[in-house]
Amino acid sequence: MKDYTKGKSPEMLEPFFPNELYRHIVVSCFLVIIELVAVILFPLPFKVVNKPDHIPWFLLPVYKLDKLIKNEVMFISILVLCALLFISWPFLVSNRKYNLTPLNNAEGANGRCARHIKECPNLWQRPVPFMIVIITIISVITLCFINP
Amino acid sequence: MNSKKSEVTIDETENKDFLRELIETNITRRLIPRGLSWFGCMGGLSFLAFTIQLGTGIFLMFYFIPAAGETTASIQRVSHSVPYGWLIQRIHAVGPHIMIGMIFSHMLRILFKGIYRHPRELHWVSGACLLILTLLMYYTGSSLSARNGNGHAVMHMTCVYALHIAGIPLAMSLFMGMHFFMVRKTGIYEPL
Repeated sequence: MKDYTKGKSPEMLEPFFPNELYRHIVVSCFLVIIELVAVILFPLPFKVVNKPDHIPWFLLPVYKLDKLIKNEVMFISILVLCALLFISWPFLVSNRKYNLTPLNNAEGANGRCARHIKECPNLWQRPVPFMIVIITIISVITLCFINP
Repeated sequence: MNSKKSEVTIDETENKDFLRELIETNITRRLIPRGLSWFGCMGGLSFLAFTIQLGTGIFLMFYFIPAAGETTASIQRVSHSVPYGWLIQRIHAVGPHIMIGMIFSHMLRILFKGIYRHPRELHWVSGACLLILTLLMYYTGSSLSARNGNGHAVMHMTCVYALHIAGIPLAMSLFMGMHFFMVRKTGIYEPL
């Protein structure tokens, strides 16, 4: 199990119980309420995914792509390729130099400096992967509005 | 006789100590980094949504009949004759939309914050596989409903039903186990 106390002062830590558990209980209650409200407001029957008005929002791009590409083999190949690219995304954009710089320093409890490696730069700090993600998201949204 | 009794008492005490230590290490005395985001709960919420789907799915499994001319009737029977069947059936129908929404927001946060980077690549791999399996789960579930057909269609439906209730959930459990193990091993994303 990962030890979060290493190199950290007590001020940088908080107890898992009850703080984190309380956070999870609150958001879980919200989820249950949202689900019950959705049941009342959107009483969806079970539907077969084969007609445009039966397609849920998350499968709409796939359905539109199926309509655009008539060849079934090509359609499945594109889906598999997209899934593989999606799964292997971290390996495709890995660049270890971001893991080594910069080093941030913070005062420790007993005067020592705690060092942390900044290992997760945000996506928008990396232009090429950021552009790829934005273009992909825009393409997927555009696909939903195309009428083949 | 007395020695046997004392052995049992020692065993019970050891078990209690082990349990107490387990709870203290993992829950009551565990310390985590301060200032974790509320959006970090999205993964836990996705798991809760999956658990709700699992519970309602097991309930529906007792009444659903994957046979020719029986599917629609069995769904109708659950909705109209079984106590609270309508509620369970509706939760099972609405749940995937919320579950997939939670997974998408969880993955978008991880993608934009770059949390998938080393040493958390396998978190992303298992999570992405879980998203794909969830979409497949929805597709197979929706294929089951309201379909009455001939022998070939019924054969196809039995396969889809087996995938929906056993094949895909089993694969999801494996990937979830891997996901949770990796999160425990490498830890969650810590704000700097």
